[in-house]
Amino acid sequence: MRLRLAGVVKRYNGQTALDGVSLQLSDARSLVLIGPSGGGKSTLLRVLAGLEMPDQGSVEIDGEPLIYSEPNLLRHRRGIGTVFQSFNLFPHLTALENVTLPLIQAHGYEKGPAREYAMELLKRFQLEAHAGKKPFELSGGQQQRVAIVRAVAVKPRFLLFDEPTSALDPEMTAEVLDIIAELRGEGRELVLVTHEMGFARRVADHCLFLSAGKIVESGPAQQLFSEPQTAELQGFLGRVLKY
Amino acid sequence: MAAKPLVVGMELAYPPFEMTDTAGHPDGVSVQLARELGKALGRPIEIRNMAFDGLIPALKTGKIDIIISSMTATEERARSIDFSDPYLSTGLCLLVRKTIPITTIADLDQPGRTVAVKKGTTGHSYAAAHIKEASILVLDKESAAVLEVVQGKADAFIYDQMSTYKNYQRNQATTRAILKPFQTESWAIGIRKGNSDLKGKINRFLADFRRAGGFDRLGDRYLRDEKEAFRRLGFPFFL
Amino acid sequence: MTLRWPDIFFARSKGNGEELPPFGRAVGVVTALLFLSLVFSFAFYRLQYGWDWGAVYRYRRMFLAGWLVTLAISGASLMASLVIGLGAALAQRSSFLPLRYLGKLYIELIRGTPLLVQILVFFYVVADAFGIGNRYLVGALTLALFAGAYISEIIRAGIESVGESQLESARAIGLTRRQTYRFVIYPQVMRRILPPLAGQFASLIKDSSLLSIIAVNEFTLNAQQVNAFTYSTMESYLPLAVGYLALTLPISLLSRYLEGRYHYAS
Repeated sequence: MRLRLAGVVKRYNGQTALDGVSLQLSDARSLVLIGPSGGGKSTLLRVLAGLEMPDQGSVEIDGEPLIYSEPNLLRHRRGIGTVFQSFNLFPHLTALENVTLPLIQAHGYEKGPAREYAMELLKRFQLEAHAGKKPFELSGGQQQRVAIVRAVAVKPRFLLFDEPTSALDPEMTAEVLDIIAELRGEGRELVLVTHEMGFARRVADHCLFLSAGKIVESGPAQQLFSEPQTAELQGFLGRVLKY
Repeated sequence: MAAKPLVVGMELAYPPFEMTDTAGHPDGVSVQLARELGKALGRPIEIRNMAFDGLIPALKTGKIDIIISSMTATEERARSIDFSDPYLSTGLCLLVRKTIPITTIADLDQPGRTVAVKKGTTGHSYAAAHIKEASILVLDKESAAVLEVVQGKADAFIYDQMSTYKNYQRNQATTRAILKPFQTESWAIGIRKGNSDLKGKINRFLADFRRAGGFDRLGDRYLRDEKEAFRRLGFPFFL
Repeated sequence: MTLRWPDIFFARSKGNGEELPPFGRAVGVVTALLFLSLVFSFAFYRLQYGWDWGAVYRYRRMFLAGWLVTLAISGASLMASLVIGLGAALAQRSSFLPLRYLGKLYIELIRGTPLLVQILVFFYVVADAFGIGNRYLVGALTLALFAGAYISEIIRAGIESVGESQLESARAIGLTRRQTYRFVIYPQVMRRILPPLAGQFASLIKDSSLLSIIAVNEFTLNAQQVNAFTYSTMESYLPLAVGYLALTLPISLLSRYLEGRYHYAS
């Protein structure tokens, strides 16, 4: 995807989450955002997801500017897939119904084809045994994987992941990261916010290090991780990769 | 050594027989009658305020010793409790909505008419037994029943003669009173069955009290206007 | 290892839960009922009450008629109160401010005053001013307004209990506001409010007894009349209690069943 951000500012209750973020990427298949908590990574992801309207600045994706009116944002959101840290699924619906809901309501599928297609995808990711279960009957890892299937099912332009494994134990983290790696391997475009540095390094094409609402460093992943330029990133990586 | 108090049950919602003064203390004809009775028996009096339809159960279970609450001595009640000699004679009358052309109880008992009564009174029993065509409204309180007539929700309120007169006095714009009783009744003091000793003493007291002009004095003190009005209307005063 | 017979009266705690001995529940219930009967029998014996069921049996049709009126008025009020409650809950979420505050005022007024006072005011003041004389209609409406305030709070709590994160999810997958209401909020709210709603219905049935003060011939007033005619207080009021239990007990059981069925972590 081609990304162009110019002077994006976002404030909440007097706090500045994004402090004039500018970026130009012409060919990033997978973009990973890292940085300390509260640094602005999630906010930036949400802006790209069309869930937040910036107070200032502009966003352009694949040459199309993101117009901040509800009908346009709705169309934008329907064209992408977002997975949050937790509580993605609706508790009153089964896994299958969670996947078919956006297909039927937001993408015009008929019930029959939607169910078939959803089952196919669930099968592909070894989740078909859980299709009829409600979220409370699934483990955290299974829930996240179903959420990913839901995001993928709508054939999105790109996928967004906001710390998808932060609420999971190591074993479930691995099973979710496996899926993301698989999707990456298929060539899907994705934007990922994560604390899993090892994974970030493996999966990312381009990496952004955000701190205090600004992009402190930006560059190809390999370069950023092996040769951090700024003292801040060096310090951050030093702490995060310590154990 | 103090004598055992005589517990007298009454519903303090029936002026000027059973009511409270401005400070909330029991007052009225029945209260004074009770006090005089206490003096005659040499026992202190305790007035117990309760709902009218709870008086007989309370007497039966011993919560109160006697009932002085303007209670009519009826055959049916006499099956449950004993009564003293009557001390007052009155009758059932009608408080009627002003614009209704009713003159007798028979006029009232027509389909489409509504009759109000107070729960547990002889008016209530009369209505249950004799009113066949009209619909009956059973209210908890006298004031509610009067309100129903005043607001036109009921065509008439069956109640005793004296209260009917008083209620008419207070609502002359919306009501009128048919004061000729269509059923006469007398009030008596209620006593638990089998208590013939107490009954005898009470009857003796009532005779003495009347002879000594006690009832006349009560009438002058509490019912002066009514006495005068009834004299003008040609009804015998009942106390 | 044999069970000592006193063990049948106790539940044993096992780890995270507890374990009942065989027949434990039956023994517990029967013993409790026996104890209650003993207490009541003793009380009545002390009272030296002369029971006379014949008098009350003569008036059995009055009891039945009153019971049916109570059932009918409660049912009608419940349905009206659902509409009113939903209206008030939505009004409070409206962006049109006068409507929002009208809703809040209604709730504060109704919840802050006794039902008895509301019945008297609505019937003798408000309905009279508007010329509505039918006391059954006014009574049912008063009950509906009363229950509606509580139901609106139940609904509001139900809506708010659907976590923010779910609304976010719905947004993220591209559902419109209306779709979010229809597919995410509404189904969950329905499941969540059914148990407290059932409880509200039971309360409504009991509260309907207050309509007796405006001479609505429901169950309580009819029992009171029988008492007035026959002086059989206990024999009138015991069937009265049983009659209400016959209505509220099934609802309470239904409510408990619904709670169990729709219990899942959110």
